[in-house]
Amino acid sequence: MERRSVHQPRIKHLAVKVGAVLTLIPVIAVGLLLYALYARGMFDSTQALTLNAPDAEGVVIGMPVMFSGFPIGQVSGMALDELGRVRIEVSVKKKDARWLRISSVFSLEKQFLGGAKIRAFSPRMQDPELPAGAERQLVSKDAAQDIPQVIARANSILQNVDEIIRPDSSFNQTLANLKSVTERMAGEYGVLGGVTGSPDQAKKVLDTVDSVNALLASLKGVTARADGVLAKTDDRMFGQGGVMDEAKRSIAQLNTILLEARDSLKKADEVLANA
Amino acid sequence: MTNAKEKSGAKKRVVLLAGDAERRQLIEDHPEAFLVSESLPLRANLSVLENIAVVLQFRTNTYIGEANDTAWKLLTQVGQTGCAEQRDPDLTYEERFVAKLLRAIVLSPPIILIDRPAQLLPDTNYPFFLNRLLLALEGRFEQCWILDYAWNAALYTSRA
Amino acid sequence: MNALHAWLTLVGQGFSEWLDAWVRVSRFAMTALIGMLSPATYNKATRLVVQKQIYFTAWQILPGFCVFAALFSYLIIEIVGITARKYGLYEYALELIVRILVLEILPLMTALFVALRTGAAINTEVALMKIQNELDALQRIGIDPMRLELLPRVVGGTISVLALTAVNIVAALWLTHLAIVDFHPWTLTDGDFTRMIGKVLDIPVLLVLWAKTLAFGFAVTVIPISEGLSTPQKLFHAPISVLRGMVRLFFSLMLIEAAALAMVYV
Repeated sequence: MERRSVHQPRIKHLAVKVGAVLTLIPVIAVGLLLYALYARGMFDSTQALTLNAPDAEGVVIGMPVMFSGFPIGQVSGMALDELGRVRIEVSVKKKDARWLRISSVFSLEKQFLGGAKIRAFSPRMQDPELPAGAERQLVSKDAAQDIPQVIARANSILQNVDEIIRPDSSFNQTLANLKSVTERMAGEYGVLGGVTGSPDQAKKVLDTVDSVNALLASLKGVTARADGVLAKTDDRMFGQGGVMDEAKRSIAQLNTILLEARDSLKKADEVLANA
Repeated sequence: MTNAKEKSGAKKRVVLLAGDAERRQLIEDHPEAFLVSESLPLRANLSVLENIAVVLQFRTNTYIGEANDTAWKLLTQVGQTGCAEQRDPDLTYEERFVAKLLRAIVLSPPIILIDRPAQLLPDTNYPFFLNRLLLALEGRFEQCWILDYAWNAALYTSRA
Repeated sequence: MNALHAWLTLVGQGFSEWLDAWVRVSRFAMTALIGMLSPATYNKATRLVVQKQIYFTAWQILPGFCVFAALFSYLIIEIVGITARKYGLYEYALELIVRILVLEILPLMTALFVALRTGAAINTEVALMKIQNELDALQRIGIDPMRLELLPRVVGGTISVLALTAVNIVAALWLTHLAIVDFHPWTLTDGDFTRMIGKVLDIPVLLVLWAKTLAFGFAVTVIPISEGLSTPQKLFHAPISVLRGMVRLFFSLMLIEAAALAMVYV
């Protein structure tokens, strides 16, 4: 046996390998800690902003404050003031603070799924920047709370549409009247050409028919507008000076025109009887 | 102990015992003694050299190289360097015995007790082997007592 | 009546044995902890053994196990990501992965792996050392087996679990970024990733993570050693000792995991 072999360690570079393993642990632990602190914005310089809200439900510490979909800060603390309102402390990154103006609006949006979000909205970017330590109101917007209102509004619209298309509605009756009148007119017109001997009388009758045609065209416009109304919301339909008012007026006009038409037709009848 | 028989000066002694009880008593009376015994095996995952060196290293906090050097010197002294890198299961009885003895001797203890050499060295003319071994290690130990039974006494006297 | 009495005695004995074993484990754990922390434990001989133990239990398995853990992590990340995307919850996939995979599955999987590899080996070795009387032999020659043989194993196992977990966590975080952000850049950005990390990994969570990993590492070696030490000096007891040690270790790991979960989420 060679003497030298005794001195050769069994494991090559044992100390180096062990040293590597031993340094790996603290390096990773400290690295992870620093990364977590960095991720929490510990190393960003921030400025304070206080949001007052009537209710802090859904707000948690660490929650992001979004501007146009980008996180610009986060909730750093919450407390109740002496009036029982919630004061939400927000730290905004210094470099993103320029997106907040004195006219900025802050809203808390609760979502169906996942956590709530605080959104900042700056409608007028030409306004001066929001100073550090400012206080603003937090407007609460709850998607879930809005649902009953939306459904109620949709219901009232549907009801109005129902009113319009009901068989005994004034709108339908007007249309029915119109139909019978036009039918009658069409029938009479065929006879008219053959029977009226006097061109004077015939011209009178034809004038009447022309005015009925014009009436039909305007009626068409009215129905087209009514169609548009169906798609729109109810207040535009029934509000003061809304489309419905106009429609009513048109229908009233229509009635007077129809009365005139009937008079003309009566005259035409007399002419026919005299002929 | 009264019937202890002295051989080759004061350093090496053959202690002839009447029975197992007396042997146990003697071992118990000398807790400071380093024991070479069948019931105290070598560390199984260390080589012979490491088994010897680790004792020195642990007790005197020497560098591994130094301890290995000392162990190697001892092995050279008894002419058993061949087994230095081997572990317990690969050793012959003699090699195992040498390893156990050197493990005790490396610290120069006051007393070494060799417990029942017949059990440790079943295939060897052990009185002769022990004599030669301890002579080779002269100066490395203070006292070495060989604990053997009285009925084996003849083995020690009949030797040439 | 007699049968009931006998049965109750049996149950009582079983319980007291079970309790004894746990008391033994905790007593050894205390001794080991004190021994590990006292500088007197370490001299040139023990330091060498500690180095060897770290080499065998940490360095040797580091590359292989980390490759395996990375593949496993990537699989989980992809499954969670794809499922989350299907339901339109992609941004929550990140949090889910960090919370479930990085903080819970990886440390536990690492501890179980080291328990299987090193824990079982240590239990067998210590049981055999005890059965063969090697521990007594060391004691008799003036070597404290606790310092030379047992504590280095505890140190090695603990460091092994810590190192493997640390590397696996870093690899899993990197793979998460790769799979969720880099491969699908239209869904989530770097900023989302960083923000999520900041949200999930706060200081208490990190503290609990490392404390849990440390406890895993400690348990993975202390329980097998303590079980090995209490083996009766008969060879046929060796497999029984390993069996008991492994079962006890499994329950201890689960207990530590549950305690850590309770600390973070309750």
